[in-house]
Amino acid sequence: MSAEAVGAKTGSRRKLSLDTWAVLVAFLLALLVRTGVFKHIPW
Amino acid sequence: MADVITVPQVQPVQPALRFLRVIPGVLLLAAVGYAGKLLEQNVGAYAKAHHWTFPNIEYVLWAIVLGLVISNTVGVPELFRTGVATYEFWLKAGIVLLGARFLLGDILKLGGVSLVLVAIEIAGSLAFMTFLGRLFKLKPKLTTLLAVGSAVCGVSAIIATKGAIEADDEDSSFSIAAILALGALALFTFPLIGHALQLSDRAYGLWAGLGVDNTAEATAAGALYSDAAGKLAVLVKSTRNAMIGFVVLAYAIYWASQGQAKSVGNKAAFLWQKFPKFVLGFLLISVLATYRFFNKDQIGALANLSRWAFLLTFAGVGLRTNFGEMRKQGLRPFAVGAIGEVAIAGFTLALVYGASKIFGW
Repeated sequence: MSAEAVGAKTGSRRKLSLDTWAVLVAFLLALLVRTGVFKHIPW
Repeated sequence: MADVITVPQVQPVQPALRFLRVIPGVLLLAAVGYAGKLLEQNVGAYAKAHHWTFPNIEYVLWAIVLGLVISNTVGVPELFRTGVATYEFWLKAGIVLLGARFLLGDILKLGGVSLVLVAIEIAGSLAFMTFLGRLFKLKPKLTTLLAVGSAVCGVSAIIATKGAIEADDEDSSFSIAAILALGALALFTFPLIGHALQLSDRAYGLWAGLGVDNTAEATAAGALYSDAAGKLAVLVKSTRNAMIGFVVLAYAIYWASQGQAKSVGNKAAFLWQKFPKFVLGFLLISVLATYRFFNKDQIGALANLSRWAFLLTFAGVGLRTNFGEMRKQGLRPFAVGAIGEVAIAGFTLALVYGASKIFGW
């Protein structure tokens, strides 16, 4: 396997954008609050 | 054969290393943000105990100022920079979580009004910045980047447009520096003007969302005025952000027609690629909140999580603003940006004033 082939293979993997990661993390946090894992978040 | 062996060794380590590299910077964001929160609580109490007249300075401003002081004196060491750059991630996560505090009906009502104002703001700003760019004889693609940055959503819009119209790195650096410097100024001037004009929370929130370019600065400028103004500024700014795909697509088609950029193949895919996904996340959380997926305590918890995310964002706004670096980018694009921003701030203020008279805010 050449270096180019490796690059092409890794490059073709779909990467999530920063926006999508932020949405996923926010939804995970919302789910943890909804299921009662995080009962109270102080401020 | 050596390539085959090295790849499996390196690949599993990379994500973990990348994760470890952000930790120092995220801790710095948290430390600066939390110091801002402590200062808000303690400085006011100390002044009151000693009968001093001292304005109530919110944690938002303390966090930004502390960040600015660090960035412009000792500087942010290399070790922390990757983590400090995550402030945009926290901003977007915070906006999605903030959706829990909006009922869908409010979004449709306010979003409808703000959509009309946003359309007028974008058209007016693009036209005016293009005129200024020609007047000051800036390079056409630099003018496009400055116009998109001030009309739509600051740095994200500039980066999205740069790729689509194949602009130079130098042009995008100029535009980003101008937009960031002017955003930093807006942080301090917008609340002062808002208080001087005695704008209501609603009018000010609309103005900050329409007039401040970068999402982080618009969020901070709104929060500096009041919680309600901050909420509205985020909603209006998100409406502006949602327009990014259409504006970038229009410019990409224009520059392709001039033979100076690649033509756009699948326009729907292009729009989806440029569309800020956090706006959809924000809407979806507000739909869930509207249909009582969360109870009152849970909405309170989500609102506090959103505040913590914004706390990191505001620290990041200060830490990534380095006036020395911005000065190096040159004066002309900055001058065009400054004239444009003042005009856009005046124009959007007039729009908001007109809307507040019509709707009786």
